[in-house]
Amino acid sequence: MKLPKPILDLVDMINAGPKVKYRGVLGVFYYVDDVTDAVRTLRQTGLRDVRVYSPVPHHDIERALEQGQSIVRWVTLGGALLGITGGFSLCIYSVVSWPLVVGGKELISLPPFVVIGYESMILLGSLANLFGMLALTRLPEVKTSAPYDPRFSEDRIGLWVPCGGEEAVKVQEMMRGHGAEEVTLHA
Amino acid sequence: MANNDDATYEPAADPEDVGVTEHVPATVTQKSLNADILRMLERPGKIWWGVFLLDLTILAIALVAERNQIVRGIGVAGHTRPVMWASYVANFVFWVGIAHCGTLVSAILFLFRSHFRRAVYRVAEAMTVFGVMTAGLFPIIHLGRPWFPYWLFPYPNQRGLWPNFRSPLEWDVFAVTTYLTVSSIFFIVGIIPDAAVQRDAAKNRFHRLLGTIFSFGWRGGNYQWKHYYGAYLYFAAFATPLVLSVHSVVSWDFAMAQVPGWHSTIFAPYFVAGAIFSGVALVINLLIIIRKGYRLEHIVTVDHIEKLSKLVLLTSTIVGYSYLCEFFCAWYGPSVFERDMFWWRFTGHFWWASWIMFICNVIFPLALWFKSVRRNMTVLFILMLFVNVGMWFERFVIIVTSLAHPFNPANWGVNYRMSWTEAAILAGSFAWFGMYFLIFIRVLPAISIAEVKETLPPPMRRKHG
Repeated sequence: MKLPKPILDLVDMINAGPKVKYRGVLGVFYYVDDVTDAVRTLRQTGLRDVRVYSPVPHHDIERALEQGQSIVRWVTLGGALLGITGGFSLCIYSVVSWPLVVGGKELISLPPFVVIGYESMILLGSLANLFGMLALTRLPEVKTSAPYDPRFSEDRIGLWVPCGGEEAVKVQEMMRGHGAEEVTLHA
Repeated sequence: MANNDDATYEPAADPEDVGVTEHVPATVTQKSLNADILRMLERPGKIWWGVFLLDLTILAIALVAERNQIVRGIGVAGHTRPVMWASYVANFVFWVGIAHCGTLVSAILFLFRSHFRRAVYRVAEAMTVFGVMTAGLFPIIHLGRPWFPYWLFPYPNQRGLWPNFRSPLEWDVFAVTTYLTVSSIFFIVGIIPDAAVQRDAAKNRFHRLLGTIFSFGWRGGNYQWKHYYGAYLYFAAFATPLVLSVHSVVSWDFAMAQVPGWHSTIFAPYFVAGAIFSGVALVINLLIIIRKGYRLEHIVTVDHIEKLSKLVLLTSTIVGYSYLCEFFCAWYGPSVFERDMFWWRFTGHFWWASWIMFICNVIFPLALWFKSVRRNMTVLFILMLFVNVGMWFERFVIIVTSLAHPFNPANWGVNYRMSWTEAAILAGSFAWFGMYFLIFIRVLPAISIAEVKETLPPPMRRKHG
């Protein structure tokens, strides 16, 4: 079955994404230790705004970049607190707004409300965790701020340094010196 | 610069970087892994189409049965006093139970750093999501008026009415909807890096489109991995208590009621163990089919399957202990009704169902003590089918026998017979689940590429250490 051309064109357009111009140097590496050495050298020379693309996370690279812990946990905690408060509040509000004594029990009987509060805590905590992660990882990312190579999801590691002019030439040489397979200048 | 595709390198010695490589053979490389797993997305073969069409046919029959029930009323389901809950509620509990394995494998084993989960957790997670989607249908199917399920949810309305938050049935609404939401999020978030691989390597423009959509534009940047794994840990931390709570809440649908055979404090841990038992059994069945059908024996190895079958053995012993414990409590306890109910369960009208339950869930799994059984895929496949038959009957026995034999002897009755409507809808639930699963393995990577890659030794120019 062949789909109409406008649909195929739309699919191709979405797949291609928007065209963006970049300014900097992109190095393609194979070995993890080559990348970590290159990152350390770049940071020593004052270029701290570097990005590394890799198919899997590497602790060596994280250490070279001196990455701290993710702050997503604070967003998650906020969501979880909101969830447990909201769950209990909903139950209490519902029995107070329509007071109906059943079996001589207290209107505000907290033990059965624990289940609702507990499930609401997990639900809102997880949703906050999701939205926090999406915001911090800048997803969905339609317009990329750095060039990308499909090999970065296979077995190669990319190192992107935003720079220009004389500095870009030095960065290119430095990357080649550290074992980059390919170095591309985006100007 | 020389091409490093075929480079051989010394495995790095830092265990933190390497993870555990024992489960994936050394012949697997990052590149070959991408190719092997994405091969599943290529044009489907005749077997897939045959199974898919059979599945749709069963589903169509179930839809006809459901239409029959909507038009003629819930009476066509064969429910007769005193058995007004039967296979629909059994199906609900069965499918929620099936769903539990995914969270166990993906979240609990993640927190315990059990690396063998990496090759198998995606299938288990997909099973979770589709299992809950199937389970969620049954309370609606069981409603006399299935067009009013939204009455279960708390929403402001003109009459100022709210659901009864003290009712276990309302707890169930919160537990199951939370479980569906959280397990779907966990599933989709886990797919993000693999969808990026699919986007970058797809040969077909539609597979690329799916990769583009499900990857959310993922590039694998250091800033992305940092927050991704930061969040993943918390998803696992939330999902673990959630999975324990959901089946506990489901068990309280029964345990909170004053019915012989139901009103027991053992129900929550007993149901959770049973859920994991049946879920892991089904995931073993699915993995055996997938690894054979797509020639992925080198990625989903016999070691992985064996470790899962040990989980089945463990949970089988817990389930067996629970059965014996229930009997002991009934015999030792003060309630004559409870004692009579349990005796009737194994000797009365539904004795055959109770014995199927006991033999399939307690006796047959004893074979898993033998390593040769755990590593024989054919025997294991058949054994796991029996486990799931047994677990379905467990829910049937708990529900139907207790309702058929309540406190008042005047109400004892065995008039319930499963009707064709009920049987067709039961078969349709498997078809509904199967339809989603069959589509899933055709459109998205069914094995986590990124996580299996993490078990491979990272390419290092220098010897580490």
